[in-house]
Formats: sequence, structure tokens, C-alpha cells
Amino acid sequence: MDTQETQASVFDDAIDAPTLAEEAGPAIEADRAEIQEALDGGVQTEAQKRQHRHNHLVRAINWNRIEDEKDLEVWNRLVNNFWLPEKVPLSNDIQSWATLTDDEKLLTMRVFTGLTLLDTIQGTVGAVSLIPDAVTPHEEAVLTNIAFMESVHAKSYSSIFSTLASTKEIDDAFRWSTENPYLQRKAEIIIGYYEGDDPLKRKVASTLLESFMFYSGFYLPMHWSSRAKLTNTADMIRLIIRDEAVHGYYIGYKFQKGYEKLTPEKQAEIKDYTYSLLYELYENEAKYSAELYDPVGLTEDVKKFLHYNANKALMNLGFEPLFPSTVTDVNPAILSALSPNADENHDFFSGSGSSYVIGKAEATEDEDWDF
Amino acid sequence: MATVTPEMTTGKTSAMDYHALNAMLNLYGPDGKIQFEKDREAANQYFLQHVNQNTVFFHSLKEKLDYLVENDYYEKEVLDQYSFEFIKSLMKRAYGYKFRFPTFLGAFKYYTSYTLKTFDGKRYLERYEDRVVNVALALAAGDETLAEHIVDEVVNGRFQPATPTFLNAGKKQRGELVSCFLLRIEDNMESIGRSINSALQLSKRGGGVAFNLTNIREYGAPIKQIQNQSSGVIPVMKLFEDSFSYANQLGARQGAGAVYLQAHHPDIMRFLDTKRENADEKIRIKTLSLGVVVPDITFELAKKGEDMYLFSPYDVERVYGVPFSDISVTEKYHEMVDDARITKTKINAREFFQTLAEIQFESGYPYIMFEDTVNRANPIDGRINMSNLCSEILQVNTPSTYDDDLDYVEVGKDISCNLGSMNIALSMDSPDFGKTVETAIRALTAVSDQSNIGSVPSIARGNDMSHAIGLGQMNLHGYLGRERIFYGSEEGIDFTNIYFYTVLFHALRASNRIAQEKGRTFEGFERSKYATGEFFDKYTEQEWKPATARVQELFDKSEIHIPTQDDWRELKALVQQHGIYNQNLQAVPPTGSISYINNSTSSIHPIAAKIEIRKEGKLGRVYYPAPFMTNDNLEYFQDAYEIGPEKIIDTYAAATQHVDQGLSLTLFFKDTATTRDINRAQIYAWRKGIKTIYYVRLRQLALEGTEVDGCVSCML
Repeated sequence: MDTQETQASVFDDAIDAPTLAEEAGPAIEADRAEIQEALDGGVQTEAQKRQHRHNHLVRAINWNRIEDEKDLEVWNRLVNNFWLPEKVPLSNDIQSWATLTDDEKLLTMRVFTGLTLLDTIQGTVGAVSLIPDAVTPHEEAVLTNIAFMESVHAKSYSSIFSTLASTKEIDDAFRWSTENPYLQRKAEIIIGYYEGDDPLKRKVASTLLESFMFYSGFYLPMHWSSRAKLTNTADMIRLIIRDEAVHGYYIGYKFQKGYEKLTPEKQAEIKDYTYSLLYELYENEAKYSAELYDPVGLTEDVKKFLHYNANKALMNLGFEPLFPSTVTDVNPAILSALSPNADENHDFFSGSGSSYVIGKAEATEDEDWDF
Repeated sequence: MATVTPEMTTGKTSAMDYHALNAMLNLYGPDGKIQFEKDREAANQYFLQHVNQNTVFFHSLKEKLDYLVENDYYEKEVLDQYSFEFIKSLMKRAYGYKFRFPTFLGAFKYYTSYTLKTFDGKRYLERYEDRVVNVALALAAGDETLAEHIVDEVVNGRFQPATPTFLNAGKKQRGELVSCFLLRIEDNMESIGRSINSALQLSKRGGGVAFNLTNIREYGAPIKQIQNQSSGVIPVMKLFEDSFSYANQLGARQGAGAVYLQAHHPDIMRFLDTKRENADEKIRIKTLSLGVVVPDITFELAKKGEDMYLFSPYDVERVYGVPFSDISVTEKYHEMVDDARITKTKINAREFFQTLAEIQFESGYPYIMFEDTVNRANPIDGRINMSNLCSEILQVNTPSTYDDDLDYVEVGKDISCNLGSMNIALSMDSPDFGKTVETAIRALTAVSDQSNIGSVPSIARGNDMSHAIGLGQMNLHGYLGRERIFYGSEEGIDFTNIYFYTVLFHALRASNRIAQEKGRTFEGFERSKYATGEFFDKYTEQEWKPATARVQELFDKSEIHIPTQDDWRELKALVQQHGIYNQNLQAVPPTGSISYINNSTSSIHPIAAKIEIRKEGKLGRVYYPAPFMTNDNLEYFQDAYEIGPEKIIDTYAAATQHVDQGLSLTLFFKDTATTRDINRAQIYAWRKGIKTIYYVRLRQLALEGTEVDGCVSCML
């Protein structure tokens, strides 16, 4: 699917769209302007007014009237997936941590601080900024859940730090996160869009964050676990990945719902915007990864992983993949480790795994006890 | 033991990294087929890139053995029991079978965790055959014929000793050979203190340890007659959790432990809540395994929708003069309800079962032991009140008493068990099935004879008295798949029944022969149902034969004689005359690591996945293909979640009737299951005569749209 040919056509579309519009003549041009104005919030259409009322009237949420089944499905999934960092016996990794070289330890600390920063943004700014754009009250509920879990994730990294590292090492790593230009740059880019005024662009930014930008960091624990290191930490990260996979998917889905309703011109603009933002982020991400992973010689492998996840993010948004399969051949050990399914088998000597979920309680009936 | 770290690998070649090759097993090939060949290539590359370059080379066997003995790697006493010529011939015999690891995980697991390494952990000193020979020499204790038999059975994969035995036997620096320990705790501080010490001592030496908490007085119970003093069982569990994580076997693996509690103990709900996802840090139990002992009466009460009373162990012991765990709750239930001297509380029985299922959803725990089923099936005089870390050991015990300074006043009887498992598929191919079973029984008996756990006198005494062993089975699903029989089908269950029936006969016969040779039986034989002959009734009074033509055909093809009623009558007479040496003979463990080395499916479970993802502390994530599975017989390798709990329970029920101890039975559910489905499966298992339930496992599939493309383990 993701061959060079399809990739080219993606850009043809994006470039062609405005050209067609220009040729269409002044009448259409005027329409466009009006719609654009409407979209910018200058003039509200009736639909948008309804939408506005919908968003600002205080209405009791009725889970028995579901407007979008996906909201309920995702809500249930998120609730089932609820977890807290205390569940994972991280301290079992202390011995393993001691076997890492100083470079490897430094890398690991920095990767996790980077992830903490992203989750902080997503928990306190990102997911929250999406709430006013929600189309259904149930979507709002799902987004609050997402925001909360992002904060749980941010706290999880702290659990890892406090279990494995000394206070000084932790403080150094956090200082590094405020000083690293690439890390700060990616935070700026994303926050910029969250604070912008276009709901769809916010969703694009959010999906790219959830489905793409986390992964330069996620690579490392997956790499360690395939080498039998920090396996309990990897379990925790896999729980986070399990959540992020659903978050990215859901926000991407909501994006597609909104995107469908746009005019072709506006669609082209958003698409163009998506690819340029991805480029911008990718460029920064590549440098960020190189700085982190060069000392241990893993950068090439990490980049493939970035390509793979960039395509995944685009798929979540309903767009064609950007990178051809020749540059997305992720190391199978990493790819297989990534599976968000809860299907691994482990023994009781090795921690809790990432498989158990909170179940659905249902009382037994008399017939069940008929013996 | 030191770990061999991946950094050891020096010879980076242009060939693909073996971890990557192995992981390709989990990704479909371009033709949409499972890439089994990539895994074999991974195994091959593992030897080329890593093992061969890191193995110490010796010019001759003599030089090697001398080096290993002089440098304290091998136990001199073991080798001294044999002539050098014999050891050499045994080596030749072992190497003559041309053993090769069929999977990457098998090889990786063996070299990472079992083989002898230099003390710095950097170089390998043994190949697989060397380990097998050394194990055989150690277990046979000078008996050349037995040593040869053990080598034949192990190298050919028909019998595989459990991890502690296979890992440790014959090494100079080693842990114990025994797998499992089960200890009672009585309701006093001396006993609790002793048990913490035992947890440390036994974890240090290896093996899992289980404790019975049933006798400990509940939260708020009086101490020295002053009310509201006791803190109950939770703080004791916390002490165990920390003890187990502190002690590990020379770093080889973390200590692991389990605690069992009677369902009618007043702390039962607090006990279960320790595994809640949102449990407070002070009471949360992370790594300790939990088990609940459920008597029949609890099911009866739930059936009627009634409340179940919980009884204070402190009062029960004062009223009956014996600890709570030594009375039958089912038998005394109504008596205790009516006895005003016994403090009691109540909870709704159905809600109790629902809570059990909720916790199982969240954590996989607790294990369940069906107390009355277990005791009805127990041929030994005494009471079974707990199980172990894998819920397959079921033996009787008696309490110990202590002085104030923790010395024993009376040494009770606690339980240990050493295990080993037969590979069902390869045993069915055995040239002499009876000899395979007998060799396995003799190898296991040797471990018991050679064990003396002095640090825990009640364990040492229990072992001396009982010589209990646990012969297990594995690769049932692999065998059924190979023979193109569906797991849980009529033929599958029929085979399981006849197979276990035949194993039991040979196991008893072997134990009887050992008793004749040694001129002694286990202590208490004369009070057992073996001595009275009652045990044999179901085999002499009833004919056992295959119900399906296919199973008859399988046994005919393998030329395995299915014991007749006359065979049983003859065996019964011999047993009544000479007794048997081992108090317990069979127990079917879950077989994790050893089934990978042996290329088996685990235990008698169905496979968890066509390509199993195995995660362990020392291995990381590794992928393992179901044995005997090819791209042509995939339909016979349905996974446990597709097969569902009923067929698994039916299969286990067929085996259970021929096994004196227990079988680790895991229940598998899809994520559409509710607690009601789990409860129904528990009720069904209890009705079918299942003795214990091990883990409850749930598979949650990725939300559509979030899965990894082309991943074998992600597909249904």
C-alpha cells in the first residue's frame, strides 16, 4: 500500500487542490471566502450556532442516548484499561538497571524525561483544549478520561525515576529537558497549535502527538525489553502505549468526522497543513533522536520506527501514509514488542505483565447455581 | 549465578540479529504465512553468533572434567561414584542422539538460565548433552543402569526434570533440587516468626514457597483476651512479600511465594482486596500470589442465595482444640453457626463469588482450591488444607510447636515436592512406555532421597516421612495437533483419560518396585487407601478402555498396552503386600521454562497463542511457535481463548480422576467475559471434580484500528 507511487499522489492532491479553486472563477471564490470567514468564526452559520449552544448550555449527560457509538466503545475500553503505576513491580528492575552503562542510563533518564514533558502537555493542555470542541457530551467525557490518564502517565515516569535513580540524577534529567532545544521546540510547536483557533488543527496536532511523537521515546524501553533489560519498566510503558494507541485512534476518528463535513477546498488546506506539520515535527524529531541515540548507535533504527509511526498517525487521521515501506522496516523485535494486545505469557517470577483489565461485574442468576 | 549479558556477543556478522529473526516469527511473511523458518534460522544464528564463540574449549573429556572439579564447578562426589570409562561412554551415548534445539527460545532459555557458566558469567562450560549427563550422574548416585536410562529419556525429550533439578544437579555451587515448599502457620507469634525465617531460607535455596494463613486470628480478634488487638492476616502478607523479594537464589530468580486462606476466614474480603487495582499502598500486594480454599458448603449457600458465615480462627481453635485448618468447614458449618462461643460475621455468598471473579479479572488471582473435592480424592490419612504456588501440590500436613526461643517442641510435617514432566507426544513414541514412566519415577525419587532441607526441620521431616514426588505431563496440545485431533473434542478427552490411566498404573508399579527394593514404604502407608485396597476399587471393579476408535488406534500404533482389570488386581495385591515408596506420585505443573527447552506445549493446557509471546526477567520478550504446528495444520492449534473454559475443564476432569495430587488449571476468557462467566466456569469446574484453579487469564484484543499490521499473535 505504502509504495512510492501512492506517496507521490498524496502530494499531487495537496498541490492540485488550490490550483483548481483558482481556475473556478470569482463566484466560487466569493463562496469560499464566505465559508472561510464562517469557519474562522467571523460569521456563524446556523449549524455552528447550534453547535455553540450545544457546547455551552449545561446539559446532563445521558449515557442512554448515545449519538456516536464510538464514544461509548472507547469510553468502555478506556475504563477497562484503567491502571495505576503502583501496580507494576518496578523495583524488580533495580538489578537490571545496575547492569546498564552510564551512557545507557543517561539515555534512559533523558528519554523518560522527554516523555514526561509530552504527557504533561497532553494531560494539562492538549486533551483539555479539545474538550470545548467536542460535538457530543460523551466525547467530552472521553476526553476528560484521556486527560486524566495522560497525567497518570506523566506520574508513571516519576515512579520509574524514583525507583531507579538518585535525586540528583532525576534533577539533572529534568534540567536537561528544559534546556534541550529540540525537546523544547517540539513542545512549542504542539502547544502553539493547541492554543490556535482551529478545532481540526488541534485534533491533528493531538493525533500526531499521541501516535507519532511519543514513539521516539517508546522505542527505548521496547529495545531494552527485547534485550531482557528493565522488563517491568517495559511493562509499564506497554500499558502507556496501550492507552496512547486508543487515544490517537479516537482523536483521529473525531478528526475524520469533522473533516468529512468540510468543503473540498478546506479539506485540501487541512491535509496540506497536516503534512507540513508532520514534516516540521519529523525534522525536529529526527534531530532529537540523533542527539539522544547517536551515543549508543541506535539512531537509524529509531528513525525507521518514527517513519512507521508517522504513517500510523496519518492512518488514524484517514490520510495516506507518507513514508514508503522501504524506510519503515522496523526491527521486528521492536515491532512485535509493540503489540497493544494483552497476549503475552509470563511467569510469577517476572512481574505482573500488561495483560489484566478491570472487568465487568455481573451478578450470577439462580440458573447458574443449578446443580 | 551470574547472567550472561547480551554484551558478550562480540562476533557481529552481516547475518541478521537473532532477536530480530526470532521476532519475525510473530509477523506474517510476504505470502501471508507464518515464518517458521525464520525462527529456526534464529536458533542457528544464535549458535553461530553467540554460543559457539563463547563456549570454553577443552581438548578432551578428561581435561574438561578435571578442570571443572578442580575449579569447583562440578561436585567431585558425584563423579567419584563412577569410573571414568563409564562417564565417557555415557557422554558418547548422549552425544550420539544428535540433539538440536528446534526453536530459538529453547536454545536461548537453556543457555541463559540452565547451562553451567564460568563464575564471571561470561563463558559457557556445558552444552545441552553435558548438562543431561551430569544430571543423570547426580540422580543415579552410582547406579550405571539408571544413569543410562535417565540420559536416554531426557536427551530424547520423553522426560524433563523440573527447573531446580535440571539447573542444579551435579553443580558444586547450587541451590536445592526441589521445586516446591508448603508450610503451615499456627496462630502464635513464634510460628509466624519461624515462617518468615523459612520464607527467607527456602527462597535463598530456590523453589516457590506457599503458606497457609487460615489459622491466624482475624483483624480485631483478642490477644490475651483483650479485644480488638490483632491486626489480622494482611500485615503478615506484607512481611512475606518483602521477605520473598529480599531473598533470591544467587540472583538467579526472585523468590516467589503464595498464601492460602480459607473462604470462611473473617479476613477473606480484606485478603482479596489487596489485589485491587486501586488498593492503598499500605495494603496492596504486588508480587505475592493468593489462593482461596473453598469448601462445598460455600457453593451450597450461594446456590440458595444465602449469607455465608465467617468464623474466628481464634475461637474455633479454642472450641475444637485443633487449628481452624484442621476441621472441615462443610462438616462443622451449622454447628459453628449455632455455637455462641464462636465470633462470626457474614457476607453474601454470591457476592463473595462475584468479588472473587472481579479480583481475578483485575489481577488473575486468587487461585482456588476446592477443599472437599481434594480431601475426598486424597488416598492418604490426614487433611489437605492448602496448595502451593502453582496449585498442583496437594498433600497432608501436621502442625509444629515452638519454645519461646523459637526452638521446636514438636517438629510437625510440612510439604515439599520435586517435579518433572513427561512429554506426552514423545512418550507415546517411546519404545517402552512403562520404562519411560518408571525411569521418571526413579529420577524423581532420587531427588527426594538426596534432599535434606536442614534449615526448615519440618520440611526435612516431611520429606523423610513421605518421599512425595510429582510426575507431571506436558505437550498434550502439541500431540493432539500432530495427530490432527482437536483439543477438547471427544477424542481429545478420551485420549487424555486413557493416557493418564496408563501413566498411573506404571507410576504405582514403579513406586511399588522401589518399596520392594528398599524394603520400606512411606510413613503412614498402612493407614492409606492403598493399604486398605479401597483406592483400587475404581480400577478393578470397572473396565477402562478407549471410547473412540481413533484413541484405540493411537495406542495400538504406539504399541502401548492399556492396563486391564486383571493387571490392576495383580498390582493391588503387590501394593497391599509391599506398599509403595512415595506417599504422592503425580502432580501436573504448569511447565513454563522446561516446556520451551523440551519443545512442548505447556502442561495439558491448550496453547495461549499460535505464536506465544514469552516475557521473563532474564529473557525479555521472545517468541515461541507451538510445537508440531506447521502452516498445514493450523486449524488444530486453536488457542485457549478460542477453545474456551468448558473444553479445558472437561479435559482436566478426564485427567484429574487418575492423579493423586492436583493439576494447574488456568481458565482463559475473551474480554467480552463478565464476572458471571468466570463464576459459571468455577461452578462447572467444581461440579466436574476439578481440584484447583490456577490463574484466570483474559485476552484483550487491540481496539480495531490500533493493532500492529501483520502480527501473528494479534490475529484471531
